[in-house]
Amino acid sequence: MPVKEAVELVRKAKAFLKRTKFKEAMAHVERALALDPRFAEGWFVRASVFAETSRYKESLADCDRAISIDPNYADAWTKKSVMFYNLERYEEGLLASTRASSLNGNDATAWYMKGVCLDEMGKSDEAQVAYGKSLELEIILDMKAEQDRARKR
Amino acid sequence: MKTDMPLSKPIRRFLSHTEETLDTEISLLRQPEADPGGTLVDVYTYDIDRNVIIFPAQYVGLLKDFVIAKHCTNLMLKGAAAKKATYKVCSYTEDSVYHGMRQVYIDALKDEAKKEKKLPVQKLIQMLFILFQHFNDDLNELPWNAIVNASVYHRMPKIRKTQLYHVMKESKNDMDEMMEQESIVPRRYFVLNKAMFYARDMFLAKTLPADELIPVINIPQMKKFNHLEVKEMLTTRWTNTAWYQSKVFGDNMLAIIDKPLGLVRWNDPPTIDYYYDLYKVGCLVTDNLLSYMTMRDWFVWEEPKHLLKAHENKEMYEKDALKKIFGDLIADAWEEKL
Repeated sequence: MPVKEAVELVRKAKAFLKRTKFKEAMAHVERALALDPRFAEGWFVRASVFAETSRYKESLADCDRAISIDPNYADAWTKKSVMFYNLERYEEGLLASTRASSLNGNDATAWYMKGVCLDEMGKSDEAQVAYGKSLELEIILDMKAEQDRARKR
Repeated sequence: MKTDMPLSKPIRRFLSHTEETLDTEISLLRQPEADPGGTLVDVYTYDIDRNVIIFPAQYVGLLKDFVIAKHCTNLMLKGAAAKKATYKVCSYTEDSVYHGMRQVYIDALKDEAKKEKKLPVQKLIQMLFILFQHFNDDLNELPWNAIVNASVYHRMPKIRKTQLYHVMKESKNDMDEMMEQESIVPRRYFVLNKAMFYARDMFLAKTLPADELIPVINIPQMKKFNHLEVKEMLTTRWTNTAWYQSKVFGDNMLAIIDKPLGLVRWNDPPTIDYYYDLYKVGCLVTDNLLSYMTMRDWFVWEEPKHLLKAHENKEMYEKDALKKIFGDLIADAWEEKL
């Protein structure tokens, strides 16, 4: 079980991250990790802050730390695939996105990343299959968002 | 290109091509509350130094790619026009507002004479400019929407399934537009508005063939469209609505859209000259639609700055037009209410 205070700090870090306040997000998540270095979500959130500020290698390293604590952390695998893509390491990106989509079959980003990496590797037909799956999931999410918007109106 | 978000190969290439051709910069911005169709904030319309394409935060994959492709094509049209000649949009002036509002008023009076339950005068007066502006917005959007969709369809086959979903969704939203005002808006304008969208949909139905639908029907909400081709889907929607009378006008408008667009060679090299020619086709379609709807004196072709200025002055234009139509008394009373 992660330290309670660390959980709260990570929650705040995520809120700052959402509002693109990266400095504040980083300060909170680092305090959380100092309190509980075994808190996988903490490493994942720090990886996200690094990713948003284009520090891909640091982000990749943090994804690995999160995965070393929780090997089934699907979001960390997805983030890892995005970082590999940004570093133009498409084959590794494909491996990470495949792992992510097998851990969470409903992750549209993981399927999309799989498609993008396959496409970059010249495997267009396989890419189309992954894109198709990603699109289905995205449409379902979008329909849900539309319903929420209609309800608000 | 200022982005580190993953993009599919054809979109990344198209973005780079657009930036190179127009010698401009494009940023991509994800926003939770963005318009579902995305938004383009461009250097040819606004006084800014780089272009921004904004799209909803939940678009993580191909939906995002399609929105980018669409707005990038739009940017190419605007940029080509600005580089080859002058980029112009449908704007309005004090005089043109008067012409438009006066025409709407005359048509509204004809409608009101036949109605049992009359529209309160205040509401009728309010409606004149709202309707005028509605047509301005639609005419600045609709012909370009048809062109952009056709262009993306031909140039980016890999995102056709995504496009199909967007087209279906957009069509539904456009059909619902103005429905709440059905009893207020003069019949002629209600029908013309619906007819424009009907024509756009039928043009797209012709452009997007049937076989592209298949993967989307795996989604439960789309199951009802199983075994229907795009044309059938869009036609079924329109024929099952109360405004099917729009069809007569819509078919004429379809011919107006289809004639010049039917001649476009969509797969020609995407040069600046090519997009400038496409821009001219868009202007021609707009002009022909305006003529068909007898709205030629409602709007003027001007640079985007003119339209932004017109929006700033719209209350003044509205008030002056009301003065001309009804005399000082009603305009003063109207001003007190504002």
